[in-house]
Amino acid sequence: MSGDNAVTDTADKPQMFTETPEEREFELRAAVGAYWSGGRLLIGMFTFLFASLAFAYFYLRSNNAGQLWRPGGITAPTGIGGAIFAVAVASSLLAIYGQGRLRSGSTLDWEVSGWTAVLGGLVAIGLQIWQLTQLPFFPGSSGYASCFIGWAVMNIMLLVSGVYWLETNLALCIRLRRLDAEDGTLATSVGPVAQLFRANVESCTYFWGFMAVVGGLFWVFFYLI
Amino acid sequence: MTVTAERETEVVYPDPTPPVLGGFQGLPQRPGWLSQHLGTAAIGAVLGYLLGHWLGNVVASGYTNIADSGVNAVAITGGLLLGVFGWLLGIGALNYPLAKMVGLELRPDYESTSWTRYLRYTVDHKVVGLQYVIGVLAFLFTGGLLAMGIRTELLSPSSHLFGPGTYIAIVSEHGTIMMMMATSVIVGPLGNWLVPLMIGARRTAFPRVEAFSFWIFTAGYLVILSALFYGGFPTGWTGYAPLQTQAGGGMMSYLVGFAVIGLGMMAAGFNLAVTIINYRAPGMTWSRIPIFVWSILATCALLTLATPTLVAAGFFGILDHTAQTAFFVTEHGGSSFLWENLFWFFGHPEVYIMALPGFGIVFEILPVFTRKPLFAYKVAAAGMVGVALLSFFVWQHHLFQSGINPDMRPLFMLTTELISIPTGFIYLVGLGTLYKAKIKFEVPMLFALALFFNFLIGGITGVFLSDVPVNVTVHGSFFVLAHFHYTIMGGLIFAFFGGLYYWLPKMTGKTMNKKLGQIHFWIMFIFFNLTFFPMFLIGLLGQPRRVFEYAQNLQALNDFSSVSAFILGASFLVFVANFVWSIFIKPTPAPANPWDSLGLEWQTPTPVPYYNFERIPVVLSDPYHYSEENAPAVADLGEEGVLVAAGASSPASVAEDPRPPAQ
Repeated sequence: MSGDNAVTDTADKPQMFTETPEEREFELRAAVGAYWSGGRLLIGMFTFLFASLAFAYFYLRSNNAGQLWRPGGITAPTGIGGAIFAVAVASSLLAIYGQGRLRSGSTLDWEVSGWTAVLGGLVAIGLQIWQLTQLPFFPGSSGYASCFIGWAVMNIMLLVSGVYWLETNLALCIRLRRLDAEDGTLATSVGPVAQLFRANVESCTYFWGFMAVVGGLFWVFFYLI
Repeated sequence: MTVTAERETEVVYPDPTPPVLGGFQGLPQRPGWLSQHLGTAAIGAVLGYLLGHWLGNVVASGYTNIADSGVNAVAITGGLLLGVFGWLLGIGALNYPLAKMVGLELRPDYESTSWTRYLRYTVDHKVVGLQYVIGVLAFLFTGGLLAMGIRTELLSPSSHLFGPGTYIAIVSEHGTIMMMMATSVIVGPLGNWLVPLMIGARRTAFPRVEAFSFWIFTAGYLVILSALFYGGFPTGWTGYAPLQTQAGGGMMSYLVGFAVIGLGMMAAGFNLAVTIINYRAPGMTWSRIPIFVWSILATCALLTLATPTLVAAGFFGILDHTAQTAFFVTEHGGSSFLWENLFWFFGHPEVYIMALPGFGIVFEILPVFTRKPLFAYKVAAAGMVGVALLSFFVWQHHLFQSGINPDMRPLFMLTTELISIPTGFIYLVGLGTLYKAKIKFEVPMLFALALFFNFLIGGITGVFLSDVPVNVTVHGSFFVLAHFHYTIMGGLIFAFFGGLYYWLPKMTGKTMNKKLGQIHFWIMFIFFNLTFFPMFLIGLLGQPRRVFEYAQNLQALNDFSSVSAFILGASFLVFVANFVWSIFIKPTPAPANPWDSLGLEWQTPTPVPYYNFERIPVVLSDPYHYSEENAPAVADLGEEGVLVAAGASSPASVAEDPRPPAQ
């Protein structure tokens, strides 16, 4: 072994790699399609993850072992819960609005709404963590309490995923500004970089919509019914 | 994309990857041993574990019920989770996600010919595939050694090698390791290595996700193995509550390990599914993709949709032990049956996660060694998709004796029996292909035929078990144990070895020794059956699983089974000897296409170039037109005058083979 050449990222000089324009087009379409189907499949995975929590919720609720589903009708702090839901939904709507603006050709609008959505997501995460310190019940005191703790942690993971995804797109957008001057804007260019970027943003926005739907459903579960 | 015979002017890049993102140079990489590799991963894991354990102790120090319990689940969980994090950080799995946060791309991943690439985080699907081969074999042999311990203990009904606690810990560890290994044993090594080649792709859709799936899989292996150092866990591989909630530190390894490996399974399934959907070469329509790819696609659907339930269940279990929630504690508003439902909602599709790729392999092997087209290709594909769909609706048959409304039993008995219909399709396809064929009994073919024999026994006893009266009678006995070993080991593991013998010449460029392969097969086949068939009788005679004492009159059968198991275990040593001898000690270069296969993966040079195909191939037909005269060509490889012809004994017989000689 040659130690200096052992790293896959900096290894031997590669074989010459050639591509025809047809192949470049093919690869680009495949990559754009991968963002599309990957985004949907990711949502499918998260759906089953949260469906498991929903199953646990309804299973324990209908079981009501020892009348310990939710003794005394106690709930998690509704004000904080409502605020989390409102911030998360507002952020999602902003992300969706921003993507609409990007589609219309305005990169700046998307950036502003995107960073605001990221901020909103971070606020929602902060509120969710704070809510965990304000609970009026012990985690193992009831079925409801257990499910709520599960939801809070999973919601944080969901929000972190969404915020991370959107933030990486925004960071990329900043990096690609120099590209704007060469090849139109990210919103309008037909170049491969811009097409991939837009496909990524589109899937990311779809995920934010999913986050809002999940947040809404569990808000109903934990605070309304 | 329109496909034309004339190729346009090529664009030549100095790098092996197109400039996807505007030519960023990315982060600097350190060369050689200073870079990230298995060693740094191990260091990261140890440091992460120590940090996590310390943090867990600090966090739990204020809670006397945890700190004084003798088992600080918070510290153990913290150690294991941060250990996994450190492992991933050390191997370099987090470089890319962190770089993305500041909008950077890493440098393109170059081809490396150094063997050390197998110890690194690489985005070459072929390297990942071979990493998986070693990984799953390590899993398999660890589980196998534990099985030897179990059979040694069962040599005597009353004289014991282990105490009862140790015995159940070994049984549990064996079951968990084997089941986790089995979920990835084909998708990981062969799926990752072969699928891009089979569909004519130059890469997978998300190569870093693919690499992540392997390295978190290995982390999960270490986590599950760590259970032994925490005293093991007493629940068997199913982890049933309430025993789960009462168990010691080893249970945390089980819960964390299952969740971690679940993430790896989801990542692997996600990447391959997206690759198959989007990266099929022009002309590779859904009716032309190799049947192995269909089987992987069906499996990926299960991996991505069923596994999150396992991860959620493991997560709830971890919360029960650490945050003191009560998901599975009936006395506090939870339910132990909740675990059973969540576990089996994943657990039964998992059976098909294991079975379907095995069928995919044998359906690739059968046409080659019968020189006949695959019989009823579309029926085979439909059967696999049907099995995958139905597998979501049968999990309650595992709860026939617990946690189910008795009135619901007939429904789930029916759905379970329904699944034998698409499974029957699969058998029909196999039999149709074999019908009136001149079979070449090469080593891969022997393993393929053995699958049909073994799985038939496993499948039919499965139909017995789906019937409530039989299920009630033999539940929890060795009968069940024999049944699932016939389906999983008799089906999946035989298919896996058949696939290895079939594709290793392509993967390594070396030929496995045929004689040793035959010896391996016959010992494995005979003693597999001699090990597990008596267990049906042992079960029917009333011996329960997971208990180390049994009735005196069952000793002869148990001893027969144990001795057979030892020889079965030895058969794997024959494989290891063959592998080491043929690949490393006295390597014999493999012919470019030793089986005269029409599969696209065999039409590439050996070793396969970094980007698989010099030109993206244009697929013209499915690869099963063996023995057909005037059959259409399979693919246009884009090289002058080279068409891979169907019906020919070798592609080279149609045009001069432009490939370099095998190395």
